[in-house]
Amino acid sequence: MSTTVILFTILSIGAIASGISLVTRRNPVSAAMSLIVHFFMLAGLYLTLQAQFVAIIQILVYAGAIMVLVIFVIMLLNLGKEENLTEKFSMRTTLALALGGLFVVQFLTAFLGKKTGMNALPEKSMSIGTTEGIGNVLFTQYLFPFEAISLLLLAAIVGSILLAKRKHEAS
Amino acid sequence: MNKSMIDLIYLVPLLPLIGFFITGLFGKKQKSEALIGGIASAAVGGAFVVTALIFMTLVGHGSEERSHIVRLFTWMQAGSFTIDVSYQVDQLSILYTLIITGIGTLIHIYSIGYMHGDKSFPRFFAYLNLFIFMMLNLVLASNFLLTFLGWEGVGLCSYLLIGFWYERKFDGSFIVWTGDAAKKAFIVNRIGDFGVLVAMFLMYNQFHTLDYTAVNAQAAAGFQPGATLITTITLLLFLGCTGKSAQIPLGVWLPDAMAGPTPVSALIHAATMVTAGIFLIARNATMFALSPTTMAVVAGIGVATALTAALVGLVQNDIKKVLAYSTVSQLGFMFIALGVGAFTAGVFHVMTHAFFKALLFLGSGSVIHGMHEEQDIQKMGGLKKYMPITYKTFFIGTLAIAGIFPFAGFFSKDEILWNAFSQGHWVLWAVAVIAAFCTAFYMFRLLYLTFGGKERFDHHHIHPHESPKTMTFPLIVLAFLSVVGGFLGIPYALSIGGSIPNLLEHWLEPIFAPAMEILRRPEVHEVHAIEYGLMAASLMIAILGILLARSYYKNASDQPQAMANRFSGIYKLLWRKWMLDEVYQYFIVDVFYTISNGFLWKIFDVKIVDGVVNGTARSIASASELLRKIQSGIAQNYAIMMMVGIVAILVWLGLGT
Amino acid sequence: MEQDFLLSAPITFLSIMATILMVVDALIKKSSKITFTLSWLTLGITGVLAAWTLKHNGTAFNGMITVGSFGAFFDILFCMGALLTLIAARPYMQRENLEHDEFHSLILFAVSGMMIMAHANSLLILFIGIEIMSVCFYILSGYMRSSVRSVEASLKYFLLGAFATGFLVYGMALIYGATGSFDYNQIFMAAQHELRFPSLMMIGIGLLLIGLSFKAAAFPFHQWAPDVYQGAPTVVTAFMSTAGKIAAFSAFMPIVAIVSPADTEMKIQIILAIISAATMLVGNISALTQTNIKRMLAYSSVAHAGYLMMGLVAISAHHARGVSGILYYLSAYLFMQLGAFVIVSILERSGEKNLEIEDYAGLSKRHPVLAALMTIFMLSLAGIPPFAGFFGKYYLFTAAIESGYTWLTIIAVISSIISVYFYIGLIVKMYFTEPNESGESTQQLPGIASITLAVSAVAVVFLGLMPAGLLDVIKLLFGN
Repeated sequence: MSTTVILFTILSIGAIASGISLVTRRNPVSAAMSLIVHFFMLAGLYLTLQAQFVAIIQILVYAGAIMVLVIFVIMLLNLGKEENLTEKFSMRTTLALALGGLFVVQFLTAFLGKKTGMNALPEKSMSIGTTEGIGNVLFTQYLFPFEAISLLLLAAIVGSILLAKRKHEAS
Repeated sequence: MNKSMIDLIYLVPLLPLIGFFITGLFGKKQKSEALIGGIASAAVGGAFVVTALIFMTLVGHGSEERSHIVRLFTWMQAGSFTIDVSYQVDQLSILYTLIITGIGTLIHIYSIGYMHGDKSFPRFFAYLNLFIFMMLNLVLASNFLLTFLGWEGVGLCSYLLIGFWYERKFDGSFIVWTGDAAKKAFIVNRIGDFGVLVAMFLMYNQFHTLDYTAVNAQAAAGFQPGATLITTITLLLFLGCTGKSAQIPLGVWLPDAMAGPTPVSALIHAATMVTAGIFLIARNATMFALSPTTMAVVAGIGVATALTAALVGLVQNDIKKVLAYSTVSQLGFMFIALGVGAFTAGVFHVMTHAFFKALLFLGSGSVIHGMHEEQDIQKMGGLKKYMPITYKTFFIGTLAIAGIFPFAGFFSKDEILWNAFSQGHWVLWAVAVIAAFCTAFYMFRLLYLTFGGKERFDHHHIHPHESPKTMTFPLIVLAFLSVVGGFLGIPYALSIGGSIPNLLEHWLEPIFAPAMEILRRPEVHEVHAIEYGLMAASLMIAILGILLARSYYKNASDQPQAMANRFSGIYKLLWRKWMLDEVYQYFIVDVFYTISNGFLWKIFDVKIVDGVVNGTARSIASASELLRKIQSGIAQNYAIMMMVGIVAILVWLGLGT
Repeated sequence: MEQDFLLSAPITFLSIMATILMVVDALIKKSSKITFTLSWLTLGITGVLAAWTLKHNGTAFNGMITVGSFGAFFDILFCMGALLTLIAARPYMQRENLEHDEFHSLILFAVSGMMIMAHANSLLILFIGIEIMSVCFYILSGYMRSSVRSVEASLKYFLLGAFATGFLVYGMALIYGATGSFDYNQIFMAAQHELRFPSLMMIGIGLLLIGLSFKAAAFPFHQWAPDVYQGAPTVVTAFMSTAGKIAAFSAFMPIVAIVSPADTEMKIQIILAIISAATMLVGNISALTQTNIKRMLAYSSVAHAGYLMMGLVAISAHHARGVSGILYYLSAYLFMQLGAFVIVSILERSGEKNLEIEDYAGLSKRHPVLAALMTIFMLSLAGIPPFAGFFGKYYLFTAAIESGYTWLTIIAVISSIISVYFYIGLIVKMYFTEPNESGESTQQLPGIASITLAVSAVAVVFLGLMPAGLLDVIKLLFGN
């Protein structure tokens, strides 16, 4: 077993564990903390794929900026241990778990036992993970999606402002 | 000027259509009758001008280059089945188009005066314009389906216009309201339309096209004369013709169609729509020529209708009904012509008949107008001095229909009779001559009772007056045409050794050439003596009819009453129009009603159909209720539903891979 | 590069104008008139630009998007739909006391998302397009913030939409894993050869279809549609259920076409056929017992997704008729469904009143013109000749038969018959039932919404009478 495989195993187990902890924690703050751990694990996974830039951005933006906001909101709203947020272990939950389980099993049967194999990363991806590489393709090959995404973000911002702002009196 | 002029054919139907939209959409708000009537008339008049220009262009072409197909656009396409909206401009269709737009324009102008003050004035003109549009599609179409569109369209317009005064009472057989008369016309026509529809299915099945040219060419190439399929198709088409052109057995609607305003009777039920049947046969002359059986049926039905309708005409007292029966009778003459293979003569009679019958109807309209809606000729008389123009023009029209030389009717009727005789159908000839005698008689009866003799109307309430100029102008134009129209088709015998050409025959010759090829008629122009003799005979007979009518009706005499008493059985039979309406009512309508009421509705529909339908409906409704429960409104449940679908799809995809 | 910008002008122009519109809106007070004018001008110009590029056929921006042809045809439909919606929305918004502010720019953003979807030549672009459109829809359905139902619709749509997007992205990732590319052409090429990871590919395709089925509101991913369509402001529903559905199919068609070579065992074809059959049955049967007119129309739109999927089955079976059938049907569907919803929006009264089918009793006496137009739209939706819906169904049905799916066509015919019941039911209600009580006193005129109605009605009749015109255009553009 190579180091990559060992790293992958550790990081992915960590990611799954923190993910499960995220949805099962009843305390919002500890759930948020699990999410941060999850982001770190993901960043690690990116690193094993030679995607340094994305890994760093993952930590800076998600674990840094966004999670700080999330925790701020939790603190401001003073969300404690909210019993109401959880629901009883009902028929629906059972069904959801069963279906989710089936889904996972299906993927496993589809992928396991098949010759998926581990391939050495292609030459190109070695350089593409760097800031320079990403910047290069972002403004040449991927110019259109880059601009289109800015449109998406703009629409989302407008929308969130619209939904949050107070309705002004009949104009 | 040449080809491009012909391409303008689309304007001909388009203008009346535009007129229809303008008068139909904006007419209601418009107060000025002159404007509405003017727009509607101008639309048709414009179409006439364009037609005339195209006609000139065609005249300028050689006789072989007068047939053009103008494709406008693809109407519908389904697989290999393609129907274009395309117009066939040739000698036949342009002739019809000239008649329709020309007489149409005159009748539009006439209607401005006639419909003056009617509360639905714009609606009337909208319908008239729509009718012209549909009729033009009927005759200009290059394929059966477009003709059928026009065919149904004119039926619809006819329905709308017969029932135009839908709130008025109308005295007809088994009919109380004008609306009933409209329905009768529509339903009877539907039976004929069914024949056309089935014929189209058969043709498409056989030829894989509905284009006139292709169908007729393929029929001529692929079938021997007398082929069963062609006979079936042509008989079915002829069924449609008997409906539209009011022949036995479907002719019962036309007399009741007189419930509509008189200009409508003139335009639709005399000059144009009722000749659609002749058009359809003339257009498919090749196919009809291939079936001797059908030709015999056409001639037989034609002559039977010509005689029976003329006999009924002898005793009627409603001025419009007399004219209606005379129309039926004259249409019978046209079918005789077609049936004996004299297609040109048939179309010739369509044209002259359009002139004088439109004239007579409009004249009768003028009388009715001047007599304050009185239609019974027994209550008229002596109108000569009150309505001089109407009288003179009506007199010309009567002479024309009676077949007096040199009025239009003489030439066309004579040509039909001569053709019947020279082809050896002397029985047809003899019966037709009797019908012609009756025609001369009842038309002059009508003339004398209306315009001559004593004034039998109530002077206190009715003050007859001449009609306005908008009404008399069309009368004068049509009278002129009734005088000279016949010279377009001068028979060979009168042509001074061929020095005066028979323009119409020459014009239509290429159209009917393939049909004539099949019929292989020997040339019979040589026997001039017989032709002169026949001509003289038919002229004599017409004059005889006139003289008889004169002696009966010129001055009030009790001769007619005596005749009626002596032959009271026949008189009553004729008065009740051969009891055809009664027969239809008791043997068809009532039987159908009983079956549909007793069995179809109460047993088949209620018990069987409803039972099955209700059962199915109930189970579908309960399925619907179940689905409603699944739609719980809870987003999580929807997500679970989605998951079920996702897992199912993935299991299916994962199987075997 | 200039060529790229020139030929992708419809997208770029519209996106830039949408952004400018937002700025104008922020800077100028009482800007609704200006933004309205600007936005309909923008849509009109975009439509003209699209028509101008219609005859081109190629790609732009390194093969990221296609230009002209297919995409341009859809651009015109989107612009038409948005334009008609905007016009109809004006009197509606005034009556419901909604501010216009962001409405116009959100509609334009949504349109640009749809256009990106239709032009996508790469899964990446497709995803961005879908998201732009969806985000705008989430917001628009909650636009009536005073209404609980509207907000609930928005939230529901957002949650389920995010759920479906997850599968969509996962599917894209798996296809990338199997073929090594996001590019449509390369996926198509790769799918023709023996794949290294066929199972990855199959599951990827499956997930992709699931995500798109959600957007098209096909069974069993349709359940959001009735709730959202009912809760959202009626004009928004009109827009979502027409332009939104058209966008979904504009994305669906090329996807089905490019993955069909990998479908060696016809599994995907069969799935599409089953979804199609189930969707139309469920849609029509559910519509039967609805009492709310918006809900009824929502289910009817679900059913129409089912008919449209018959065309996808045909495409999957490599039958060219599928493409022309779907394109024709979508064009017809745009006008008939939009027209019907706009009439609902005209008759609606603030506080979600006048939305029950009962309220339409005796409509022919109160609003004869509206009743007549509604009749046209209903007959067309039911697929009764001579209206556009009839020919649309006819082309799809024949496409399915010719692809060997007779059973599917039989189900389609059966469900069409079921649908006649509720479409005609509404007509009967309008014409042959007496109004229950003269509850409605204020006679509100449709205002400029009548333009939308007139255009839609004329289009429905015209397409029905002259189906060949549009089919000629389609044939000219896409071969057969």
